[in-house]
Amino acid sequence: MSTNSSVVDRRDFLSWVKHGLGSAALAGLMLRDGALRAATIPSEADDLPPHHEPKAKRAIHICCCGAMSHLDTFDYKPELIRLHGKSLVADERPDVFFGQVGLLRAPDWEFHQRGECGRWVSDLFPHLGAEIDELTLIHSMYAETSNHTPATFQENTGFRLNGFPVLGSWLSYGLGSETDNLPAFVAIPDSREFPAGGSINWSNGFLPARHQGVVLRARGTPIDDLFAARPIAPSQEAATRALLQSLNRRHLAEHQDADPLAARMQSYEMAARMQMAVPEVADLARETAETQALYGLEKPETADFGRACLMARRLLERGVRFVQLFSGGTFGSPRRNWDGHEDMKLNHGQEAARLDQPVAALLKDLRRRGLLEDTLVLCTTEFGRTPFSQSADDVVGKGRDHNQHAFTVWLAGAGLKRGLSYGATDEVGYKAVENRVHWHDFHATVLHLLGIDHERLTYYHNGIRRRLTNVHGNVVRELLA
Amino acid sequence: MLARSVLALAVILILTGASQGADAKAHFDNIVAPLLARRCLACHNPSEKSGGLDLTRADAAIAGGDSGAAYQTGKPDESLLWQRIVAEEMPPEHPLPEEERAILLAWIESGAMWGAVEIDRFRYSSDARAGYDWWSLQPVVRPQPPEEDSSWSRNEIDRFVRHGLTERGLTPAPEADRRTLIRRLSFDLLGLPPSPEEVAAFEADQSPDAYEKLVDRLLDSPQYGVRWARHWLDVVRFGESNGFEFDEFRKHAWPYRDWVVDALNADLPYDEFARLQIAGDALKPNDLEAAIATGFLVAGAYDTVGQGQISDAMRAVVRQDELEDLVGVVGQTFLGLTVQCARCHDHKFDPIRQQEYYQLVAALAGVRHGERDLESLAARGARADAVEAAKQRREELTKELAALVEPVQTRLLAEKSRHPADLHPYLAWDFRDGASFAPEAELTLHGGAVRTALGLELNGEDAYASTAPLTRELKAKSLEVRVRLNDLAQQGGAAISIQKPDGSLFDAIVYGEREPRQWMAGSEGFLRTQSFQGPGEDAVPDRVVHICITYDDEGRIVCYRDGQRYGEDYNTSKPPQLASGEVQVVFGLRHAPVSRGKLLAGTIESAAMYDRALTEEEVAVAAGNTVSHEDLRAGFNNTERARYDAITAETTALDDALTRLHPPRCYALTAKDPEPTHILARGDPALPREVVSPRGIASLSSLSPDWNLGGDAPEMERRAALARWMTDPANPLFARVMINRVWHYHFGAGLVDTPNDFGFNGGRPTNQPLLDWLAAEFAAQGYRLKPMHRLIVTSAAYRQAWRHDVEAMKVDADNRLFWRGPTRRLEAEAVRDAMLSVAGVLDERLGGPGDQDMKISVALGTAAHLYAPDESNLDQFRRRTLYRVWARSGRSAMLDVFDCPDPSATSPRRAVTTTPLQALSLLNNAFSLHLADRFAERLAREAGQEPEAQVRRAFQLAYGREPIAAELSSATSVVREQGAGALTRAILNSNEFLYVD
Repeated sequence: MSTNSSVVDRRDFLSWVKHGLGSAALAGLMLRDGALRAATIPSEADDLPPHHEPKAKRAIHICCCGAMSHLDTFDYKPELIRLHGKSLVADERPDVFFGQVGLLRAPDWEFHQRGECGRWVSDLFPHLGAEIDELTLIHSMYAETSNHTPATFQENTGFRLNGFPVLGSWLSYGLGSETDNLPAFVAIPDSREFPAGGSINWSNGFLPARHQGVVLRARGTPIDDLFAARPIAPSQEAATRALLQSLNRRHLAEHQDADPLAARMQSYEMAARMQMAVPEVADLARETAETQALYGLEKPETADFGRACLMARRLLERGVRFVQLFSGGTFGSPRRNWDGHEDMKLNHGQEAARLDQPVAALLKDLRRRGLLEDTLVLCTTEFGRTPFSQSADDVVGKGRDHNQHAFTVWLAGAGLKRGLSYGATDEVGYKAVENRVHWHDFHATVLHLLGIDHERLTYYHNGIRRRLTNVHGNVVRELLA
Repeated sequence: MLARSVLALAVILILTGASQGADAKAHFDNIVAPLLARRCLACHNPSEKSGGLDLTRADAAIAGGDSGAAYQTGKPDESLLWQRIVAEEMPPEHPLPEEERAILLAWIESGAMWGAVEIDRFRYSSDARAGYDWWSLQPVVRPQPPEEDSSWSRNEIDRFVRHGLTERGLTPAPEADRRTLIRRLSFDLLGLPPSPEEVAAFEADQSPDAYEKLVDRLLDSPQYGVRWARHWLDVVRFGESNGFEFDEFRKHAWPYRDWVVDALNADLPYDEFARLQIAGDALKPNDLEAAIATGFLVAGAYDTVGQGQISDAMRAVVRQDELEDLVGVVGQTFLGLTVQCARCHDHKFDPIRQQEYYQLVAALAGVRHGERDLESLAARGARADAVEAAKQRREELTKELAALVEPVQTRLLAEKSRHPADLHPYLAWDFRDGASFAPEAELTLHGGAVRTALGLELNGEDAYASTAPLTRELKAKSLEVRVRLNDLAQQGGAAISIQKPDGSLFDAIVYGEREPRQWMAGSEGFLRTQSFQGPGEDAVPDRVVHICITYDDEGRIVCYRDGQRYGEDYNTSKPPQLASGEVQVVFGLRHAPVSRGKLLAGTIESAAMYDRALTEEEVAVAAGNTVSHEDLRAGFNNTERARYDAITAETTALDDALTRLHPPRCYALTAKDPEPTHILARGDPALPREVVSPRGIASLSSLSPDWNLGGDAPEMERRAALARWMTDPANPLFARVMINRVWHYHFGAGLVDTPNDFGFNGGRPTNQPLLDWLAAEFAAQGYRLKPMHRLIVTSAAYRQAWRHDVEAMKVDADNRLFWRGPTRRLEAEAVRDAMLSVAGVLDERLGGPGDQDMKISVALGTAAHLYAPDESNLDQFRRRTLYRVWARSGRSAMLDVFDCPDPSATSPRRAVTTTPLQALSLLNNAFSLHLADRFAERLAREAGQEPEAQVRRAFQLAYGREPIAAELSSATSVVREQGAGALTRAILNSNEFLYVD
């Protein structure tokens, strides 16, 4: 297969070698680096990861859609409590999304010091608060926009526009999967609704489509097209498969050096293995009653996200590289994500109740299974919320507007300083002021933990050697153990 | 040291006299400057100044960097420049070759004379970047085809190809057999398999020009345009929804897709094709079709939420991002240059300055997304007549209906007790009776608003009515309106609104804005808005509905329809305190400023506004004088009822007809005169620098960048100038880039394998003489594509058979030199189209709105659109895959597994990957199984019930050949035991079906 051999990307190729295929492709690959190399610019990175010894082998990313408030969760601001009902003192009127700058508003939940590290966590997250010693917090995140979707794109792709690959796609491309039976990158949307932008949130962008996130549902049929859309008798299924194999074998014999043909035959065997593996991984009844209870599967408010978290753990255990969980759907009314414009107490109370116990359970469960040693857990949101309420100038309203200037994210697991709190916001938590961290830095750090130099994981697209971190990004060394 | 001196001496001797005057200057410009530019200036330039050193000017070099002066004239050993070179510290990692060292040494020793004041670092290519001398920027000079053995060569292409092969010790493959050739051509030119009859006819055709006749027939097929339009739409990242948060469906994006298909089928010259897409509206103002072509400029994503932000600063960032995307796609599509990389700084790799990026921004700064009317004057007249007739008839019916209804209605109303006037509204209007209003309720009518016997008629285009500022202070309130909607599908207009005159604050009864057909309490930024989750409006035509929304002091908002609770009430923040003189009442407009999408099309019969929240009982009283459709019908005698039903049915039909008589529209450019374009420091709109004029870029060798336009030039002239400049025959990239794309699609790889990038980071041509000859020929053919297709596919190079050759693989595994026939896996669309075709169900009709193989819904309480696959009626989607709706978040899993690109990202070259998900999809997807079943039915239809005959027919249809004996026997036994469906499913999954030699 001459003209399409750029498709034989090296990772596929190595996996064929593993399966005893492709000596001719090996020759082809060597040559591709030789004789005509000068005339071509292949899309693949020249130096595939790992670029150094990875601390983490896999990652799970919890994406809190709608902008979770830092002020009501992890960023304790006694001044904000003291100044409740006063006006924000600032050089200029804040330029906020809905244009209203109300009076400062204290958090709706009390804060308490927790764990051995003694960090302050609000009562919104009692379960996660108990796990505070596992978390590595960044309080000084800032975003480039306070518009949800571009900010979410940047959270996941490093860019504000459509059309760029998300972190999970980059990892699928850079690291591949540890298993042939399951995809490298799995996305589990909120059971209530897809996030705004739907599949754009797990898009491969310009990377080959195989790096797109595969949607796995926490309830119902886990993956589309896993089994025939209408019943087919087992004997007929077997006859079709056998005939297909014999047709392909004869065709292959006419195309001696055509490894993509052999790879396609191989892909049917892998598909058959996936048909066994996916129902197995999705069958949460195999977990003990204790584990199911740990994730809150028996309670209506935690069952949905609990199932997603437990499914994520099972996927990681079986070799999936990256699982992304979405907490929240579109920006509709009634609210079903973290976008607490109207009523923080109602909104964040509702969303946190879904998430708190399951995520804490996930951390506990990973730890007791020894998985937290080489697994990275990320919990992020696109930006934070304002310390003043979204209301008329002289009123303390119930809601908070978008705040691109400050928010908190956390990481846990492999390679991190546990219980660390990095960076700081100003007295009332309006802006990040100390050790500010951009998404590019965050992404560089995540890649670093996974054994990847963010400047070396590149893909040639359209004239540019693209990176997750554009042309920016510094690893935040202070977070690393 | 001795060797060094000898070498330096040698150079000095060679350049006898070079140390003197003009010669020394020329020597510097011709020899030294290019060397410095190539080796040093990537870092030591005025903007980077690595180590503080700038080597582009003599004074700067002597002033030196952090460590001191760059050189001491005449004293190499005391010159840092020379020391670093000798120590092999500079250039980093790439020590200078001896001969280059000698040049620099001699130059310093002989007095370091400079030529031009400044070295233009964009002038010379180096190891790190391209200069003006970059290969692709040089004029296209038609090369003479090499002399080659003519027994293989069929045309000039072959002479270039053969020459390239010979240089590498390779030989071409023999010509492929006829069956292979017709399959190759058919998929390549049409994206469809040939029918068994076509294969047989071609195999049997003994005429010497059988192949050429086949090529001509295929190029004449309208399916050619469908196939090649997809390639173009990949490059321009055509999508039919906005992307970003709301991802709204673009109902009228398809005319651009059809324009591309038609242009290709008509073989519109490529320069005209390009010009119209950039500036069709400007170049051909009287040609509506030409405006459709500008759909190119708005094919990408659009951030509605970002553009609607309150903050000017945030909106400016969104706009700059959008312009970067636009300049990027224009530059890469037609020039193969990544101009957009110069937004924040001079281009790191290509000779494009930041200022030049902004010059192109200035050319495109007026481009805005929108819809255009597509109606010709003649058509407009004809349509106006039809509309007039329909409206007249409708008016007659309305009068008759009123006469019919009134006595019954009066009688029914008389049976009710309390009168609405007892409720003491603050202001009230009854538009029907011609009576005047209280002074404070006086209205100013705007646009096409008229008051008739039917009420206040609002056209939904520009009509609304407003009061003067109100004199009472307001907090709690109720809005009440009796309204007849012109059509139920309209979106976003308000019946009544109370607003600050600038629209910064409002409460309104809004129809269909966030959820189709639903009533909503609109407010600024949706601050007091939540979905009532009420039922969709289903009032029959001419039925007046009574809507009332009450707002109490505590923020409770309740909606009533015809006096009944509408959906769920809710609590919000307390209502704003509205001071006297601050607000006004408006009819028909959601809030100021006026724009489409905020205006209601309908008639308001009466309305009222209260300075308190009405109770449920009070609302029932207020609604009392409408009578429900059901009550009316019950009140009629049989004759009246029959007439009432007949009128209702006829008006429904008339309204449908009127809806269909809406003018045709397309999603295209709607330009407006731009603000001055500033260079933005670091690309940041908050850091504007000097103003630039629309202008080209300087690096296209023989083509002047000057368009003679000022910074205030009219919008259309800017794009017209850009279009002419891009397509100027002197532009060396225009033809090269396009003909390389054409080659890429025919052979699976371009002569340059980065079709969107001919700059430093792109690939180098594997055969530049061939590329240039093709580019020159393309221009000579008047930029028509079909002659070029014909030339390429009739070449011996294209007609080669696939062959296995270990030795050739060692030299050129990727077949970049074409030592064997092209072979490829079908693209996603071709897979699906081929399946439809062999199953015998392909609907070959061209054009029109796309097929929605998805359910489009709007998420609850927001404008976000959700696209979910729809497998409920698979027979409905039988047209070619090009005609699928390409929504950005409505991708198709089955197409994706075959590498169908994300419609948000330009895709000049598709990946070809193989995954287990692909296998699962093709095996199990409802559509695949559906087509396997249709395929099996076709076999029974065409080959009868005999399994062996069915197998033969299946092989002919899918592979264009007869089965061999072993295949025949195994497949026949499968059909006999499991039915033909087991065979067709296997065939549709087989490699031979998906890979074409």
